[in-house]
Amino acid sequence: MRRPVCAAVVSAGLILVAIPARAHHSFAMFDMTKRVTLAGTVTAFEWTNPHAYIELDVTDEKGATKHWSIELGSPSILMQGGWKFKDLKYGDKVTMVVSPLKSGESGALLSSITMPDGRVLGNGPLPPGGRQ
Amino acid sequence: MQALRPAVSRLAAVSWLVLLSASVSGQSTPDFTGVWAPYRGGRGADAALAAPPATPLVLKPEYAVPFETRRKTEAEAAARGEPIASGAVACVPYGVPRMMSVALYPIEILPTAGQITIVAEAFSEVRRIYLNKPQLPIDDVPPGYYGHSVGHWENGTLVVDTVGIKTAVPAYQNMPHSVRMRITERLRLVTADILHDQITIDDPVVLEKPVTYTLAYRRMPGYEMVEFVCDNNREFIDEKGGTHLRVRER
Repeated sequence: MRRPVCAAVVSAGLILVAIPARAHHSFAMFDMTKRVTLAGTVTAFEWTNPHAYIELDVTDEKGATKHWSIELGSPSILMQGGWKFKDLKYGDKVTMVVSPLKSGESGALLSSITMPDGRVLGNGPLPPGGRQ
Repeated sequence: MQALRPAVSRLAAVSWLVLLSASVSGQSTPDFTGVWAPYRGGRGADAALAAPPATPLVLKPEYAVPFETRRKTEAEAAARGEPIASGAVACVPYGVPRMMSVALYPIEILPTAGQITIVAEAFSEVRRIYLNKPQLPIDDVPPGYYGHSVGHWENGTLVVDTVGIKTAVPAYQNMPHSVRMRITERLRLVTADILHDQITIDDPVVLEKPVTYTLAYRRMPGYEMVEFVCDNNREFIDEKGGTHLRVRER
């Protein structure tokens, strides 16, 4: 039984999003002015470099399932924000806020996530002194 | 040209002796050993410890025009959501000097006898600084990502000279550079736990004048460096050089 889905663009204005600092590529692929809330089921959690990924199935009110690939920072950056490699597994139910790809494909950059145990994690830490 | 070689050799030998005498004169050398994370300015940071502003980047006109044109193209591609890929998108390492500051990733400084080794967590890069040795002529260093670095101590400051960086390796603000580029770094402790690396890039071919910028680091006691092997790179580069994310269907 998959969790009912909530996938909505909550704002199209300029929003400051806590994002990992750029190391591998520009974040211009993603529309950082948008934040979309996704609630779904984890199909894979890849703790890898240069990025970690969450693969997510999101089912809408009519029962249709859409698959999303969510990009995170690297393990190092995530660990600085409190993540562990075994924080997620297949079948976990999560809710996350993401910035979607400008291309319209179902890929996005993680902003924050509510974990199965209720913890809320970001996509890496804020550096001392605030955002870069 | 051949007649100059003995004189050049004598000069190199004298330089080496000067450096050697400085190293054994009893000057104290601070201990940089350990892991250091970038210390950024901004909210909550101590302005007195943050890096000072950089000097202007002034390219010679024949390089400034294409540089600005490239920046405009990059801005347009970014607005489309197809940012122009750098080498890092293909997991090519940054090299010197960019490896010294990659996002929030720390560096680890490992002094040993006659050498200081610096390991960057991002892309697991390694550079070696040979202490109290004369620098090689630029033309004798095969251009690469890390070039050839020599260093010596001056009143508690580690002065590092690097040459031999290939032109494809990114430098400050992705400025163009030639193989004549010379990088001078001055690393010093601002406090016991704050390190500054003042970097001066000189390139008589490309720059009107040298550019100087500073990186600031904070000590990270007890931090264990994390491995970084780029084995799940989902970004790909299109025929125009734009970056894309490979999205999975399931």
